[in-house]
Amino acid sequence: MSATVPMAPDPSAPICELRSVQKSFDRGDGKPLRVLEDITLEVRPNEVLCLLGPSGCGKSTILRIVAGLIRPTSGEVRFHGQPVDGLNPGVAIVFQSFALLPWMTVEQNVAVVLRALGLDETAVQERALGAIRMVGLEGFRGAYPRELSGGMKQRVGMARALSTDPEVLLMDEPFSQVDALTAEGLRAEVLDIWDDRERNLSSILMVSHDIGEVAYMADRIVILSANPGRIRTVVENTLPRPRDARSPEMLMLLDHLHDIITSAELPDVAVTTAGPSVPQDVVEPLPHVQPSDMLGLVEYLATHGGAADLFQVASDTHFTFVEVLGTVKGAEMLDLVDTPQRLVRLTALGQHFVRADMDERQRLWRGQLLKLGLFRVVLELLALHGGEVARDAVLAEVRQRLPREDPERIFDTLVQWGRFGEVLAYREEDRVLSRV
Amino acid sequence: MIRTPTTRPSLRLIDRLATRVWAPAQALIRPFRRRWWVDALVILGVCAVLFGVVAMGREWTGVHRPAIQIDLSPQALPGYTFFSMMRGLAAYVLSLAFTLVYGFWAAKDPRAEKLLVPLLDILQSIPVLGFMPGLVLAMVALFPHTNVGLELAAVIMIFTGQAWNMTFSFYHSLKSVPHDIAEASTAYRFDWWRRFKWVELPFGATGLVWNSMMSMAGGWFFLMINEAFRLGDHDFRLPGLGSYMSVAVAEGRTDAMAMAVLAMVLMIVGLDQLLWRPVVVWAQRFRVEETAAAEASRSWFLDLLRRSVVIRRLGRWRKARARRRRAAPAPPAHPVTRGIVKPPAALAAVALWLLLALLAWGGLRLLHLLAHLPAAYWAALGVAGLATLARVLVSTLIGTAWALPVGLAIGLSPRLSRLLQPVVQVMASFPAPMLFPLAIALLHAAGVGLGLGSIVLMLLGTQWYILFNVIAGASSVPSDLREAMVAFRMNRRERFWALYLPAVFPYLVTGWVTAAGGAWNASIVAEYVTYKGATLATRGLGAAVSQAAEHAQFPHLAAAVLVMSLVVVSFNRVVWRRCYELASTRFSLTR
Repeated sequence: MSATVPMAPDPSAPICELRSVQKSFDRGDGKPLRVLEDITLEVRPNEVLCLLGPSGCGKSTILRIVAGLIRPTSGEVRFHGQPVDGLNPGVAIVFQSFALLPWMTVEQNVAVVLRALGLDETAVQERALGAIRMVGLEGFRGAYPRELSGGMKQRVGMARALSTDPEVLLMDEPFSQVDALTAEGLRAEVLDIWDDRERNLSSILMVSHDIGEVAYMADRIVILSANPGRIRTVVENTLPRPRDARSPEMLMLLDHLHDIITSAELPDVAVTTAGPSVPQDVVEPLPHVQPSDMLGLVEYLATHGGAADLFQVASDTHFTFVEVLGTVKGAEMLDLVDTPQRLVRLTALGQHFVRADMDERQRLWRGQLLKLGLFRVVLELLALHGGEVARDAVLAEVRQRLPREDPERIFDTLVQWGRFGEVLAYREEDRVLSRV
Repeated sequence: MIRTPTTRPSLRLIDRLATRVWAPAQALIRPFRRRWWVDALVILGVCAVLFGVVAMGREWTGVHRPAIQIDLSPQALPGYTFFSMMRGLAAYVLSLAFTLVYGFWAAKDPRAEKLLVPLLDILQSIPVLGFMPGLVLAMVALFPHTNVGLELAAVIMIFTGQAWNMTFSFYHSLKSVPHDIAEASTAYRFDWWRRFKWVELPFGATGLVWNSMMSMAGGWFFLMINEAFRLGDHDFRLPGLGSYMSVAVAEGRTDAMAMAVLAMVLMIVGLDQLLWRPVVVWAQRFRVEETAAAEASRSWFLDLLRRSVVIRRLGRWRKARARRRRAAPAPPAHPVTRGIVKPPAALAAVALWLLLALLAWGGLRLLHLLAHLPAAYWAALGVAGLATLARVLVSTLIGTAWALPVGLAIGLSPRLSRLLQPVVQVMASFPAPMLFPLAIALLHAAGVGLGLGSIVLMLLGTQWYILFNVIAGASSVPSDLREAMVAFRMNRRERFWALYLPAVFPYLVTGWVTAAGGAWNASIVAEYVTYKGATLATRGLGAAVSQAAEHAQFPHLAAAVLVMSLVVVSFNRVVWRRCYELASTRFSLTR
C-alpha cells in the first residue's frame, strides 16, 4: 500500500514509533500475564532494525503491535507522528509460518491481497507479477504452496508483502523455518531488495533469535529480556555493507552481543543452589530444559577438556545460542557446571557425574534436585497430602511463588527433572503428581 | 445411514459446561482426597445396574402379550426410559462386536475385502425401516411365547442405525496403521492377537470412541417406530420411551409428549456425561499425534470415580493378581521360530463362502419377490425417488444457508463455541422424529402441505450436523492465516471467500454427507405421518417405504428399499465422493 503520508519535512524523523507500550494478556484466571513493559522504540528511515531476545520475551508481540494486529494495553503506536488506531497503514508483514493460503497458487496468493486493496484487475496482475519476479518465482506462478519448499514459500510470503509496496517491512523470524543454506541466500536477497532505492520500502523491522543473522542484517539491534519483555539495550551496528561474517569487526560485534545476552541470562553471582543460608521460601524458576539436553552438555564438555566457550557450544551442537544458554543455566542450577563469563566449565560434581554409571548419575541428580527450592516446596506439598497432589494444586503453588513465570511450563520441567531423578512420578491420565 | 468419515475431533461434548462448573468446585477440594460418599455412590450405582438388569431379564422372558398398554403417567416414564436405554446399550454392544469382527476381517483378508467393503456401503444406504418388517416377523416366529423375539428385533433395529459408521471407522483405522508401527510389530513377532490387542485396537480407539458416540445418537432416531411398530393389523409394541411418545402423540397428550422429550434429553445428556465422556477421556491415551494442540478433554464423572476407594482397591487387586500370575512359573517359552500366527485361514475362507452363498440366496429371493411387480409401480418409484432426492437436496441447501454463517460466527469465537457447542451437540443427538408432532401442528396451522412440509421435518434432524461440522472447521482455521488476512486488510466478504469457505469446506462436506444421509432416513417418517388419527402422505420414496411396511406389502417394500439404496449409493459415488476428493486435495490445510 502506498503510504498516504503528508510530506514529512524532516527526513530523519522516525517512520514508526512505539511509546511506553505495555501489554498484558488475560490468562483466564483473573491474573493477567504481563508480557511487555514500557517498550519505547522507533523505526527510522532507511534502516534495518532487529529485535533480538530469548523466547517468551514478547518480540513477536511487539511486531504485531507495530502492525496493529494487537492493541497495546497502554501506550501508543505512531506512524509519521500520527497515532495509529487499528492497522498501521504503511507496513506489511512476513510471517514465520508463511501463512499462505494452501488452496491458492503463488500468483493468486499475491493477487488476493492486492484485490483487497481495491486495485483494478490490470494493476493487480501487473503488481503481482512484478513482486513474484522480484523474488525469482516467475516459473512457479501456477504452483500451489504445498509443492514448494520452505524457502520458496517464504519467498511467496515476501512477494505478497512487497506487492503492497509498504514503507516498513515487518518480518517475524522469517528464516527460522527455512534450512540454513536457503536462509543465508534469502537474507542477502532481502537486503538487496531493501537497498533498491526505486521502491517505496524504506525500513525493515525484523524479529530474530539468531545472533549471526542480526549482526549480518541490522543497523540497530534492540536486545530484549524476558518476563516481562523489556528493552535491555540497543546496539548500533555501523559495519559497512556488504558485510563479511568472518571479518574481525564482525566477530567483535558477535562477541559483544554474546556478552550482553550471557550477562543477562547467566549473571555471575552465586546461584542459589541449596546451602542452609538460603531461606526456605526462595524459589527459583526452572529453565524449560530437558534432562537429556543437560546430559548432552556435560558429555560434550567432558570430551572438550571440561570447558568450552558458550558460542562454540552453540555452533558445534547446532543449537541456537539462546537454547544453549537455557541448558547451561539448568546445569548450573544443579551445580554440574559453572560459568565464568562466557566459558562453561564442568564442576567437580559435574566431572564425577560424567564418569558415573546410570544409577550413580540418578543418585547425584536426585541429591541436587532436593537442594532446589522449588523441589523442596513440591515435596513438602506431597508430604502434606499423603504423597499425591493434583496437577492443579501444584500449578496454583507455582503461580503463587513465581507469579511472572508460565506455571505450566515450570510444571512440565519439574516433572521431567523429577522423573529423571526418580524423585517424582506423574500420572498424565489423572493429572496427579506423586512421590516415587 | 451414510458414512461419517471416521473421526473428526469436532464432537466436543456437553462436558464443557459441566467441566466449567466442576473445575472451580474441584479446586476447592484441591488436595486429592478420597471421599466416602463417592464409594457409597459407586456401590449404589452397581446395585441399581444389577436391579435394572434383573428387571430387564424379567421383561424379556415375560409371557408375550399381544398388545402392551402404555401407561402415560409420569411415574411410569423413568422405567420406560430405562428400558429404552438398555435396548440402546445392548444394540451398542452388538454393534461393537460386529465392528470388531467385520472391520478386522475386511482389513485383513484382501479377498473378503473386495466384497465386504462395498457390502457395507450398501448396508448403510438401506433405510433402517427396510429391515424391520421381515426381522420382526422372523424374530417373533422364533420366540413365539416370550418377549425375547420382539425385544431382539428392536435391539437389532437400533443396531442397524448404529453399526455401519463404527465399522467403517474401525476398518479405516486398521488400514491406516502407520507403516513403521506395523513393521515393528512384525519385527518383534507379535502374533495376530497381540498385534490386534496392542497395536491395532489402541490405534483405532480414538476413532471408534467418537464414532460410537455418533452412532449411539443415531440409534435413537427411529426409537418411536422400533418400539411401536405396526405391520398390517399387528401391533408390535414394547414398553419404552419411544412407544410412550407414540401413544402420547396418538392420544394427543401434549403434557406426556413434553415429558417424553424431556426424558429423552436427560437420557442423552446422562449417557454422555456418565458413559461417553469418561470413555473419551480414557481413550485420550491412545492419541497418536504427539502434539495434540487441542486441549485435553476432562470428565467430572471420571474425576469423581477416581476418588473412590473401592475402585482403587479393585484396581490394585487386579494389578497384584496380574503380577502374581506373571511371577508364577511361566510355561516354557515358545521358541523364537514360532513366527507370526495368522488368524486361521480356513475359517476365513469358509466364512467368505458362507457369506457369498447367503448373498446369492438373498439376491434370488429378492428377485423372486420383485418379479411380479408391475412396471407402473417401478415407474412410480422412480418419480418418487426424484421427488425425495429433491427434498433431501433442498433441505441440505437450506441447512447450509443458515448453518454456514452461524457456524463460522460461533467457531471463530472461542467464547461462543465454548458456550454453544454442547447445546448444538445435544440438538444433533436428539431424535428429531420426537419433535415431528409439534412441527406438523405448526405447519398445519400455517397451511403448508406435507410436500414442502416434509423438507422442514428433514431439516429438523439434519441441520445440526452441518452446523457442528462448520463450527469444528471454523475453530481449526490456523491463527496465522487469520492474522494474515487481517494484516492485508481484507474485508469480511473477501476473508470469507479467500479463507473461511475453503478452510471449512472439508468439514462442510462431512456435514453434507451426514445431513443428506440423515435426510434420506428421515424421509421415511417425514413423508408419511400420522397426525391426530389421520394419515398424511406425500409422493416420495420415504412414503412408499412407510406405506408398504404398514400394509405388509413385502414386494413393494423390497422394491422401494432397493430403489432408495440405489439412489443413495449412486449419489454418494457421483457427488459426495467427488466433493471428498476435492476437499482432501485442494482444500486440505494439513497437506
